[in-house]
Amino acid sequence: MDRSWWRNVIIILVVTLGSVWYLVPTYYSFFVLPRSQRNDIKVLGDRLPGWARYPNHRLNLGLDLQGGIHMVLQVDTKTALQKRVERRGVQIANYLKDKGLGPVSIDANREKLQLTLVAKDVATMDGIQKEVKGFDDFSEVSRDGTKVVLSLKDSQVARFKEESVDQAMLVIRRRIDKWGVAEVDVRKLGTDSIQISLPGRQDPEQAKELIGTTAQLEFRMVDEANPYFKQLLSQSPPPPDSGIVLTQSEGFDQLQGPEREPLLAYATKKTPAGREVLLECVASKTKKGACESYRTYLLDRTVPLTGESLSGADASVGQLGEFEVNLSFDTQGGLEFGKLTEDNVGKRMAIVLDENVNSAPRINEKIPNGRARITLGRGGNKSYAELRQDADNLALVLKAGALPAPVTVGEIRQVGASLGDELIRKGSLAAVVGLAMVVVFMAVYYSIAGLIADAALLLNGLLILAGLALFNATLTLPGIAGFVLTLGIAVDANVLINERIREELRNGRSPRAAVDQGYDRAFWTIFDAHVTTLIAGVILLLTGTGPVRGFATSLIIGILASLFTSIVVTRTITTYLVHGRNAQTVSV
Amino acid sequence: MQILKHKTHIDFIGKRRPAVFISTVLNLAILVGLFTVGFNFGVDFAGGTVVELKFNHSIRADEVRSRAEAAGLNDVSVQGIGAASENSFLLRLGGTTQLTAENAQAVLKALEGMGNTSNFVTDVENGLINFRSTEKLVPETVRKAVAAVGLGVKEVRDLGPAQGGGQDYQIVASGMADRITQGLSRGLAQPDFATQRIDYVGPQVGKELRNKGIAALLYSMVAILLYVAFRFDLKFAPGAVLAMIHDVIMVAGYYLVTRREFNLTSIAALLTVTGYSINDTIVIYDRIREEMAKFRGKPLPDIINIAVNETLSRTILTSGVTALSLVGLLIFGVGEIWDFAMAMLVGIIVGTYSSVYIASPLTIWIDQRAAARDRAAKSGGLSRVN
Repeated sequence: MDRSWWRNVIIILVVTLGSVWYLVPTYYSFFVLPRSQRNDIKVLGDRLPGWARYPNHRLNLGLDLQGGIHMVLQVDTKTALQKRVERRGVQIANYLKDKGLGPVSIDANREKLQLTLVAKDVATMDGIQKEVKGFDDFSEVSRDGTKVVLSLKDSQVARFKEESVDQAMLVIRRRIDKWGVAEVDVRKLGTDSIQISLPGRQDPEQAKELIGTTAQLEFRMVDEANPYFKQLLSQSPPPPDSGIVLTQSEGFDQLQGPEREPLLAYATKKTPAGREVLLECVASKTKKGACESYRTYLLDRTVPLTGESLSGADASVGQLGEFEVNLSFDTQGGLEFGKLTEDNVGKRMAIVLDENVNSAPRINEKIPNGRARITLGRGGNKSYAELRQDADNLALVLKAGALPAPVTVGEIRQVGASLGDELIRKGSLAAVVGLAMVVVFMAVYYSIAGLIADAALLLNGLLILAGLALFNATLTLPGIAGFVLTLGIAVDANVLINERIREELRNGRSPRAAVDQGYDRAFWTIFDAHVTTLIAGVILLLTGTGPVRGFATSLIIGILASLFTSIVVTRTITTYLVHGRNAQTVSV
Repeated sequence: MQILKHKTHIDFIGKRRPAVFISTVLNLAILVGLFTVGFNFGVDFAGGTVVELKFNHSIRADEVRSRAEAAGLNDVSVQGIGAASENSFLLRLGGTTQLTAENAQAVLKALEGMGNTSNFVTDVENGLINFRSTEKLVPETVRKAVAAVGLGVKEVRDLGPAQGGGQDYQIVASGMADRITQGLSRGLAQPDFATQRIDYVGPQVGKELRNKGIAALLYSMVAILLYVAFRFDLKFAPGAVLAMIHDVIMVAGYYLVTRREFNLTSIAALLTVTGYSINDTIVIYDRIREEMAKFRGKPLPDIINIAVNETLSRTILTSGVTALSLVGLLIFGVGEIWDFAMAMLVGIIVGTYSSVYIASPLTIWIDQRAAARDRAAKSGGLSRVN
C-alpha cells in the first residue's frame, strides 16, 4: 500500500463523513421535528446538536411532496400604466396653465397610452409643443391644428413596469415579514410576475389575505420628547441576552434590538396612553432586503393623513446635490398636509407603511401647496450610491402605498398534505425498488467487483443528497425520479471499468495488471464522457431559468459525485483487494 | 456471469444506410407532427385549470363527467388517477378565469345600469374589468350586480380616485377551480369530495419558460460541439450533436404520438436524455479513437465496427442497468412520473442506437468527403474548389 493509496483512503473518509454531517439538518427536519415545524429554520437551528450548525443547508421538500401553496402573482402593470398616463396628463395641463398657455383639455387614450392635448387657441400651439418637449417620458406622435397627440415612450413603459413589480414585491415582502411566517419564498418571475411559495399552508384564501392586495401608508407624528423608552429601560430592564439597548443615533431616544418580535414585545409593555410603538428596520449592509436590527418609534395613535391622498412620489437630486423625495397630494390631501405641517413645524413626521416605520423626516416649514419634499441630506458616512438607493426606496415605498398596481393571482398550485404524503410514499418506494434492482444485478453479474460498485453507488447517492442539501435544493417528485435515474446512469462508469478488466484478463494479463490496465484505460473514457455532460450542465445552469436551472444543479452534482466514486472510491477498494491482499485471482 | 461469452463480429456499420434512412424519415415525421398537430400541452404551458378531487364514496369517471355537464361545465375532461378504489379524479378545464368575451358584454350592460359609469377596459385573459364611476360605489353592490348576470366575482377593488374626477374600480372574476367545485357540489348539502390539488396557470407563464429552455439547450449543444472537436477531432463533433438532436426529437415523438401531457417534467426528461445521449456517444467515440491509434490506415467503417463490437457488452449492460432503475417508477409511478420513466426508456433505447447509427455514419461521411477532397487535390488540375 503506497502513500497515494493512503491519501485516497483519507479523502474518501473525509468526503463520506462530511456528506453525513451535511445531511444532519435534513435528517432532523424530516424525522426529528414535528411536521408543523419542519420548515421553521429557527426551531431547527435550536434543535440541532452543537456539532451540526447549518440549518440553512438542508433539503427542502417541494410543495408537491409536503403540501402547500405556490402562487404566481401578476402585477397588473397595464392598469398602473393607464393611471400613470392619466396622472401625467393632469400634470401637463396644470403646467401649461402655469406657463400661461392654457386652458388645454387633455384626453387620455388608455389602450394606446396616449394623451391628446386640445388647445383653445392655435396661436399657443408652438409654445405648447415646445413646453411639452420638457416632459421627456412622452414623445410627440402628431400635431394637427389645435391638437397634439403624445405617446408614452416604450423605454418608459418598460421602466415603469419594472418599477411596479419591484413595488409590489417590496410590499409583499413587508407583509410577509410582518406576519413572521417562516420559510416563505418570494421571487420575481419574468417581467411582471412574482412567485410565492407557502409550504405547509392549505387555504388559498387565507394566503391571499396574508399577502393582501394594497399597502397601507400613513403619516403620523413622532413623540420625541417622551422619556418612555428611557424609563422602561431603567424600571424593567430587558433580559440580558436580548441585545436591546437605548440609542440616540437619530437624535432622540429609541430602543434598538436585533430581533423584531422580542423588541416589539418589550417596547410595548407599558405603552403610554394615546401612543403606539412601531418599529423601523435598519437595513443590512451585506444582505439585500434583510434587516440588521430594529429601532422603536413612539408615535401618536391618531393618524392625521393616509396615503390615499398621495398622488405621486419621485426621487431626485436637489440643487445642493442632496437627495430628495418629492411628494404630491391631491387637493384635499394637500390642504390637510398643509395644516398638519403648519401645526407641527420642527417635529418629526413618521412615514408608516404596513405598520412599519419607513423613515421619520423633520418638518422644516409649513408645506402649503400639496407638494412636499423629504430631504435625505448628504448624509455623513453613506456613499452616493447608498443615498441614491435610500431615496429610490423611499419613493418606491411611498408610491407603493399611494398607487397600488393591482395584483392578480396568475397561478395557484395547491397540494393537500395527504396527497403529498402519498406521493412521498410512492416516490420513495419506486426509488428503493429501482435501486435495489440495480444493486442486486450488479452483485450477481460482477460478484465482488459488483459489490464494490454497489458500495460506490450508495456513496454516490449520499454525495448527491449532501450536495443538494448544500445548495439548499428542493426535492420534488420529478426530482426523486431524476435522482434514481442519475444513479442508474452512474453505474455506467463501473460497467466500463469492469468490462475493461475482463477484456484485459481475456487478453491474458495477470489479475493485478488487468486491474491496473482496466482502470487506466477506462479513466479517459469516463473523464471525457463526464466532462462533456458537465459542460452541458454548466451551460444549462448559466442560461436556463427556473426548473431548468434546478435540473442543471442536480446534473452537475450527480456528475461530480459519479466521477469521484467511480474513479477514486472503487479503485481504492479494488487496489486494496488485489494488491494489498496480494490476490492471485480477481472476481469480476 | 457474462452476457456475451465471445467476441462479437457483427457488421453494424454495413447496415447504416437503411438505419439512417428510417431515422431520417421518423425524425422528419415527428418534426412535421410537432408543427402541425403539436404536443398535448399540459397546464404548465397551455394555461388552464386542473383540479384533483377525491370522492368519499365509490364513483366512476363518467358519473363525475355527467355531474359536471349537468352543472354546465361542458368542456371539462375527467380522468381517473391511481387505483379505482381511490376515487381520485383529475378534472381539466381550459382557461383560468370565468370571464369570457361573451359574458363580459353582459357585465358591461349591468355596470352601465349602475349609473354614471364609463371608461370600461376588459382584460379577458386575466379576468379583469376596470371601470370608472362618477359616484362612489359600494363594492358589495357592484359584486351583486355582476353576479346577477352570471359571472362569479372574486373581488371588487376600489382603485382610488381618478385624476379629473370620479372613482376607479376593478372587478376580478373568480377562477375556474371555484366553478368546478361549486358546479359539482350543486344540490348537495355538503360536497362529497375533497379538493386534493389545484393547478391554475395563466397563459403567459409557460411561454417564457419554454423559450428559455430551448435556448439553453441550443447553447449547450454548441459547447459540446467545441469540446468534442477539441478532445477528439473536428469530424467527430457534428455526429455527437446530431445524435443528441435525434434523441431529443425521438423522445418528443413519444409525447407527440402517445398524446401524453407535455409539461415541466417532460422538459426534465428531454434534458436528461441529452445527458444520456452525449455520455453514450462519447464512450463509443473514445473507443474509436483508441482503435484508430491501434490500427493506423484501416478504413474508418472497419474501425467503428471493431469499436462498437468491443463495447457491445458494456452498451447492453449500461442500457439495461439504467432501464432497471426505471422499473420502480414504471410500477409505482402515476401520471407524469410514469410518463417521465417511459420517456426515459425511449431515450435510453434511441440514445444507444444513435451513437452507432447517427453519430458514426455522419463521422464516416465527413471522413470520406475529406478523403475524397484530398485525393482530388493530389490528382492536381482537376481538383474541385469548394
